Amino acid sequence: MTYFDAVVIGGGVNGTAVAYYLSKKGIKVALVEKNDIASGTSGRCDGNVLIADKQRGFDTKMTYTSQLLLKELTEKIDYDFEYYQKGSIFVIESEEELTVAQELVQDQIEDGYPMRMMDKKEIHDEIPLLADDIIGGIEIACDSSLNPMKLSFGFALEAQKNGCMVFPYTEVKNIKCNNLGKIEALITDQQTLFTNIVVNCAGVWAPQIGKMLGVDIPIKPRQGQLLVAEKTFSPYWRKIQEFGYVTAKSQNGNYKRNIRPELEKLGIAFVFEPTLSNNFLIGSSRAFVGFDTDVSIEVIQGLAERATRFFPVMKDIHVIRAYAGLRPYVEDHIPIISKVDEVPGFYIAAGHEGDGIGLSPLTGKLISQMITGEETILPIDTLSINRFKELNKKR
Amino acid sequence: MIKQDIIICRCEEITLIEIIQAIKEGAKDINGVKRRTRAGMGLCQGRTCEKLIRQILQKELKKFPEDIKIGTDRPPIKPVTFGELGGKDH
Repeated sequence: MTYFDAVVIGGGVNGTAVAYYLSKKGIKVALVEKNDIASGTSGRCDGNVLIADKQRGFDTKMTYTSQLLLKELTEKIDYDFEYYQKGSIFVIESEEELTVAQELVQDQIEDGYPMRMMDKKEIHDEIPLLADDIIGGIEIACDSSLNPMKLSFGFALEAQKNGCMVFPYTEVKNIKCNNLGKIEALITDQQTLFTNIVVNCAGVWAPQIGKMLGVDIPIKPRQGQLLVAEKTFSPYWRKIQEFGYVTAKSQNGNYKRNIRPELEKLGIAFVFEPTLSNNFLIGSSRAFVGFDTDVSIEVIQGLAERATRFFPVMKDIHVIRAYAGLRPYVEDHIPIISKVDEVPGFYIAAGHEGDGIGLSPLTGKLISQMITGEETILPIDTLSINRFKELNKKR
Repeated sequence: MIKQDIIICRCEEITLIEIIQAIKEGAKDINGVKRRTRAGMGLCQGRTCEKLIRQILQKELKKFPEDIKIGTDRPPIKPVTFGELGGKDH
């Protein structure tokens, strides 16, 4: 009979992070993954760790804390996950965006984050290949990038060094509880793993695991598509995003970007990410299409169109691949990092939407602290699954 | 010739020894090798090396060719410029 102190479900970046932080505390942990490590969302995303697009307050603090943890991890994980902290840039298209940007930057500076405005001359001096009509920018000095697949492999390999057992190509079939409702065992298509603690890190598939225990987890898959450019000179060396998309979101529909309605409908927002392999990635899109990970011609055309609007020079650079992944979407855009009161021993760490890569160290750390009963590095009330009960009551 | 020197993926310059290491670390199919090594992520998108990697997987894992899962086919079929793809005149 194999007994584990805890079993983690899901070999994405968050599951492997949880396994890593738990195993570091000397906890006997197993990681169960239905395919390979980083074969789901963590293998079909980009690698940004950004405070740039976060809400003021707790949202920003979460990512900032995670950035600090990541820096620590480069020393602790003996696997190069291509981490670099070069900062990121927002580009600004209109006067309305500029006003919103100035407010945001002022607020974030007040809270102690390294952000600053760039005027028209400065942004064009900094990014000579940028479209001429861009009127300004924001520099966010602490933002960073990494290779999400490699971070997942790194977490998993380090966890294994600490005694974690990894079970890839193993699908969870059921979770057994005793007559007091306490978790007893995890039944997979390969074996039964005895444990009293299960951490559900199954991302977009987390609701299916929740269902095995009668727990409703309000996560939906939200598809995003990306383009990969050939290895070539890089139009710029840091990550760039368009600020218009953030403005439109923050103004609750009162601001409209100067963009074709078709692209707006596809949720297209320009994101540029140079990689250490000298390719660059172009995003982004968002759509609710169930579990479909096929790319669509409308979206990839839209991504290319939006990219050349900001960087006309890209017209002659080749796209070598397009891919799609599924973000685990939660209505209030805050991940669920929580114990489940109704099922003692059941924890959830999922629903990070587009922030899973960046928040993975924080997620691993928080869950490990919750399980050992230590004080958590950040307050966890806002992350609790109980918030949805209150939401449902109000409805 | 020693294994270190044999390049399997020309675009990304990935050697046989790196692919064998990825298999040791848990790669069981084309995508698993790709995610660990970058083999197949280059300009030709695995057109040349995928068959070779399949053979290596088959040999290392002692499996039949048909048991090795192939990579995910994604557009474009051949590289296309951002201008061609995103031009408004299509």
